[in-house]
Amino acid sequence: MRAFAHLSASELRLLSRDPATLFFMVAFPAMLLLLNGSNDHLEVFVPGYLAMVLAIGGISTLPGVMAGYRERKVLRRLATTPVSPFVLLTAQIAAQLAMALAGAAVLVGVAVIGFGVAPPAHPAALALAFLLCALMCYAIGFVLAALAPRARTADMMGLLVMFPMIFLAGAAIPREGVPGELREIGAYLPLTQGVTALRESWLGQPTPMPFLLVSAIIVLGTAIAVALFRWE
Amino acid sequence: MTVIEVKDLHKAYGHNHAVDGVSFAVGKGETFGLLGPNGAGKTTTVECLSGLRRPDSGTVRVLGQDPARRRRALAQRVGVQLQEGELPDRLKVAEAMRLFAALYERPDDWRAVLRRWDLGPIAAKAYGDLSGGQKQRLKLALALVGGPELVVLDELTTGLDPVARRETWTLIGDLKAAGTTVVLVSHYLDEAEELCDRVAVLRKGRIVAHGSPRELAGRTGTASLEEAYLALAEEGR
Repeated sequence: MRAFAHLSASELRLLSRDPATLFFMVAFPAMLLLLNGSNDHLEVFVPGYLAMVLAIGGISTLPGVMAGYRERKVLRRLATTPVSPFVLLTAQIAAQLAMALAGAAVLVGVAVIGFGVAPPAHPAALALAFLLCALMCYAIGFVLAALAPRARTADMMGLLVMFPMIFLAGAAIPREGVPGELREIGAYLPLTQGVTALRESWLGQPTPMPFLLVSAIIVLGTAIAVALFRWE
Repeated sequence: MTVIEVKDLHKAYGHNHAVDGVSFAVGKGETFGLLGPNGAGKTTTVECLSGLRRPDSGTVRVLGQDPARRRRALAQRVGVQLQEGELPDRLKVAEAMRLFAALYERPDDWRAVLRRWDLGPIAAKAYGDLSGGQKQRLKLALALVGGPELVVLDELTTGLDPVARRETWTLIGDLKAAGTTVVLVSHYLDEAEELCDRVAVLRKGRIVAHGSPRELAGRTGTASLEEAYLALAEEGR
């Protein structure tokens, strides 16, 4: 437990020292909200931005971190200490989650206090949707980290997956704003289910389907990551 | 008491027999040197000792246990400095020490280890900003912060300037005095001569000679371990 606490705190500190991560996960979503400040339906944007924060961290930052640790033999060095691989990976997830919560807190604070957006109708459902969407992004991130041969490739793959996903899944802009054919593609993206779960929970009519789909994707993604992940 | 016992160790990568029948034993408190040219099988041997690789055949016992099966339990008692193995660039020296100390059940006081290895002045520096020598010293300190009974040091002083090398030798001397068993992998013969009670010379995955540095010199009719080593290397050609 002590190892987990120290490792996750250390990983969180390292994430917060990366200016790009800090900006895109904590400041950027709140900034987008300011830019859309004149829109009357900000409550539609906020849940999408929550998913965007998670996708930026889990899909674009996480693979580069993990592949970098493998490439620079950080994982190998840690393998000569008593720490278990499971603790190592969960500490990474805990740090990502803490960073995402910080981004979410700033975003929701600006939305509710600054713009008078109605607070979430189902906070418990929203919290669950946030957690599941996070785990789904991390599962996708670990799959990318397993596939990428080097840290730079992992960074590139993360961006290539994350960017189209946040635009087509309704995270960066609501799907209603995406033209027809592109909107169709969005229906098949994992993140779309996360956005739907977050949005329905925020607005007040959560349905089980997106939650179940996200859970299924977590199980599938984790299984693939476990099968593919290489420590060196 | 025997701390390390290796019997007929074999490890191949494809057709490359990296380690081809190596046997040796290291007693408690001994400083044992593994010498040999690049590709002789030193690092693979170290990896089998640390549980990072599973031998193809043969037995390896460290503190009476099989490292391949009991890696984590042994890691509490064995400190390893790998030839490769970096840290995140933005991690600071003091943070690395505190973090590694937290991974062990009964670590040494990390602040004391930090001071002993003269890392105090750079405690707030990020790993990525350290010089090669500073990185090397930090890696050594990290291998020791868990309070190990056995330390395995691969390429102990590579990257250190002559002054730092001498200082490192003194600190290894302190470790020996404290009763810690040390396995030193090196291709610096002056280092082995200075620090090791016994050495084994590896070539192409086999031990071609072992004994105390003085014995080896005597056996080959040479004045120093360096000359003995060169004589042994010539024999194999």
